[in-house]
Amino acid sequence: MNEERRIKQALREWIAQANGRLAPDEIDDRTPLMDERIITSLQVTDLLFVLEDLRGALIDVEDLQAGAFRDIHTIYHTFFARADD
Amino acid sequence: MTEFAGLDWQDNGTATLSGALLTLKERLDALFAGWAAEWGATVCEFPPLIKAAHLDRLGFFQSFPHLASFAVTLEDDRENLASFAARNEGTGDGLRMTRTAPVTEVLTPAACYHVYPLVEGARLSAPAYYTTVSRCFRRENRYVPLQRQWCFTMREIVCLGTQDEVRAFVARQRARIDAWVQSAGLPVRWVSAIDPFFDPANNPRYLAEKLSPVKTELLFGGLAIGSCNFHRNFFGESYGILRDGEPACSGCVAFGLERWIHAVLTHFGEDPAGWPLSS
Repeated sequence: MNEERRIKQALREWIAQANGRLAPDEIDDRTPLMDERIITSLQVTDLLFVLEDLRGALIDVEDLQAGAFRDIHTIYHTFFARADD
Repeated sequence: MTEFAGLDWQDNGTATLSGALLTLKERLDALFAGWAAEWGATVCEFPPLIKAAHLDRLGFFQSFPHLASFAVTLEDDRENLASFAARNEGTGDGLRMTRTAPVTEVLTPAACYHVYPLVEGARLSAPAYYTTVSRCFRRENRYVPLQRQWCFTMREIVCLGTQDEVRAFVARQRARIDAWVQSAGLPVRWVSAIDPFFDPANNPRYLAEKLSPVKTELLFGGLAIGSCNFHRNFFGESYGILRDGEPACSGCVAFGLERWIHAVLTHFGEDPAGWPLSS
């Protein structure tokens, strides 16, 4: 499994577990995570910690922009994709 | 703007309005109430107190403890009341409290908080609209006449429905406001905003609002005189309100009446003949 698929699958599984109602395969790259409250506002901080673990680096909250957690596609390209991906 | 006919300002952050200023407030609220009527909104008059249990359900005390004003009463036994009376003869503003009853009520911090308990458990087959004008209370660290008051007046229009219905409501109401301010010549602008959370660095809701903005404020200069808010299905889930079998989404449009008065006075001057809604 390449790195992108691995990270996205890890996100899918965590989001499904946090949501409690959806299976991982019901969450695609474009499922609107916050607009449809797939994850709640109280779970956003936990997701941030998951991203930091996957990245192996801290994320400065003040650098976050609106929409950064919109969906798995956006999360991957905001926090993991290299410039040459 | 502390000296103006019809504005009596108290250093506790409250104001008394009379004369032309009070008439302006009434006309502004009539304008906003008219917009609510266009939606067929149910008109409600809520009490000035809201149960602490409701605010607790919403996480209010973790997010905004700094804003809360509480309704406090003395513990109702004769000895306690007599002690209070004896301790407070001629004390003026600095009351010497004796035993108080458990605090279970909060002075309303936002008008729309009353709507959701009212419709708790409802099964909506169509979008529902509510409106109210309420005295609201927010303890601030400084007060400015009309602009930042402990006690102020908020008109709200609330929509409960599907996500599309609520987004359409907010968009259309915002356009309604835009048309009026343009016609009246009031210079305002919309900006994305975040609620004034206590300890934002440790509040996940602050992070959530930063990532997925839900509030847009109508600014006159740097002062928010109104806002449009999309709550997603937070209140629907919290109060078991369903729309087509799913937790209802909600949104609200809010107007701070005293701040609108400030905007009119600042932009159009102190002569009522120059104000919008003057006839």
